[in-house]
Amino acid sequence: MKKYVEDLNFEGEEFISDWPFWSAQDIRRKKGVLQAARLMINSAMTAPFAGGVPQIETHLVYGQAELEALARKVEEIAHTNKNWEEPFLYEAVMVRDSDVIILIGNTRCHETPLDAGCGLCGGTLDCGYFYDKKKQRYGLVDITDRSSKRMVNGPLCSARVDDLGYAVGSALWTAYTLMVDARPFASMGIAGQKLGYCPNSGMVVGVPVAAKAKNPYVDVNVDYHLINMDKVLDSARKMYATARIIRGFDYRKWIPKAKKTGKEDE
Amino acid sequence: MGHLIGKDYIQDHILEVAKNIVLAIHKAPQITGRTQIEAEIIWGEDLKPILEVMAPVANVMRYVQWDYETINNCLKKGESPIVIAIGGKLDRSDLAWNCGACGFDTCKEFNAYAKETSGGGQLGGPCCNWKLLDCAIACDWACASAWQNKVDNRIMGSLGFALGALGYLPNTNVKLGLALGPARDMVYYSREETQKVMSYEMDKADMVRSVPTMFATFAGGGNPMYKTKDDWWAPPELMNIGFSEPFMEALQKILFEQIPEICVKYSAQIEARYKKKK
Repeated sequence: MKKYVEDLNFEGEEFISDWPFWSAQDIRRKKGVLQAARLMINSAMTAPFAGGVPQIETHLVYGQAELEALARKVEEIAHTNKNWEEPFLYEAVMVRDSDVIILIGNTRCHETPLDAGCGLCGGTLDCGYFYDKKKQRYGLVDITDRSSKRMVNGPLCSARVDDLGYAVGSALWTAYTLMVDARPFASMGIAGQKLGYCPNSGMVVGVPVAAKAKNPYVDVNVDYHLINMDKVLDSARKMYATARIIRGFDYRKWIPKAKKTGKEDE
Repeated sequence: MGHLIGKDYIQDHILEVAKNIVLAIHKAPQITGRTQIEAEIIWGEDLKPILEVMAPVANVMRYVQWDYETINNCLKKGESPIVIAIGGKLDRSDLAWNCGACGFDTCKEFNAYAKETSGGGQLGGPCCNWKLLDCAIACDWACASAWQNKVDNRIMGSLGFALGALGYLPNTNVKLGLALGPARDMVYYSREETQKVMSYEMDKADMVRSVPTMFATFAGGGNPMYKTKDDWWAPPELMNIGFSEPFMEALQKILFEQIPEICVKYSAQIEARYKKKK
């Protein structure tokens, strides 16, 4: 058996900053957020569940390529429903502006219901609403056909969905306690599920996490998918170079100076 | 200057904590941003109608019995739990997301179905699952807030059923109750209050009844044995799962005779409270 060797080399220095994006100092900052996200997941796992039944799985998604893939999936879904279009496009920007995304899914809501006859799914005194619409034998749901024309393949056991809400709530509570920014999103959950994250889940919620000067998930401007930090920075890159060309000079020989005014002479 | 002695002031403090918890319920983040959540605080004598509704159900549902015995015994000791009633209006979708999570292709179809069936389940329902998530996040924040204030608590469907039957939170269709306090360790977990009414035999019976769901014995013969005793093979006891006329009769009597009678007794009084507020 490998013996644990304690590392007592406790010295060093770390420079941490949020600028420039994806620099070493920014990645160090992101790693702090990753630690917070891991604690949020612990909270999700220990949230109050009906009967104390284990039913939550999570995926942590981070890195430029990974977040870009998720953002593009959110954008793709945005264009499938007029009511989603603008909010989901805004939320795709938020994905790119996040440090880490947590996807939290419920592994039982589509396959192994609570079976308590609570009525949350269909408003009835038994679980018939769920089972009648599912391919099942003696109460065992066959989920092997995973194709669906719907974004979420319902019906679901709403008691389990309720438990998923508790998991998301606990993750958010910990985020607020740790002073990192986080909010729950349907768009990121649906997109994450379509990309294969939380592979055993019937429903997934996305919780993006960030630790930046401006909370990425609130106070957005109109047309946020067109006017946001990435676009503004790229605009500056595009226009500033042109502004230089307009009035060039040989700085070794001559630098334009402001005209002296009479007031300055005094 | 001051000197607080005894426990009464702690009970008063739990009420203040309850107000903080209601604040957390309303502050909780939402996915849709459109879910209507309501909360009320109930304690002392006002818990009696709720317990009266829970009592007959406790006779046929073990989880209701745990909750009923716990709250009722605390009340008898003069240590009233404080109940936060939490409700959500979840049976209409104004989202038009048409996501399918409810089992219908469109929100319009769901709304038409919900209009016919709303409130038919023990805890209400049907639900738009995204709005249900919002409500659950609020309930979770209530629990977390209680936890951070070091008040023993448990979110209960049994209380939700009673609140619904009695007409509390009339603008919502799904209700749950969060029981808080009294100020001691383990009120709602490893429950001391149920020890006197829960015998060894009852506990054993509950375990035994759970066995079929765990496929405990070889089922290939089509008639698996049932392990109810040490020498379970001599003679074998075989599963005999069937419709129970006496149980169903008792359940029907409770749900459709006893509970409506209790509700009629209190509903006018509870309804009047909401009318006064208007």
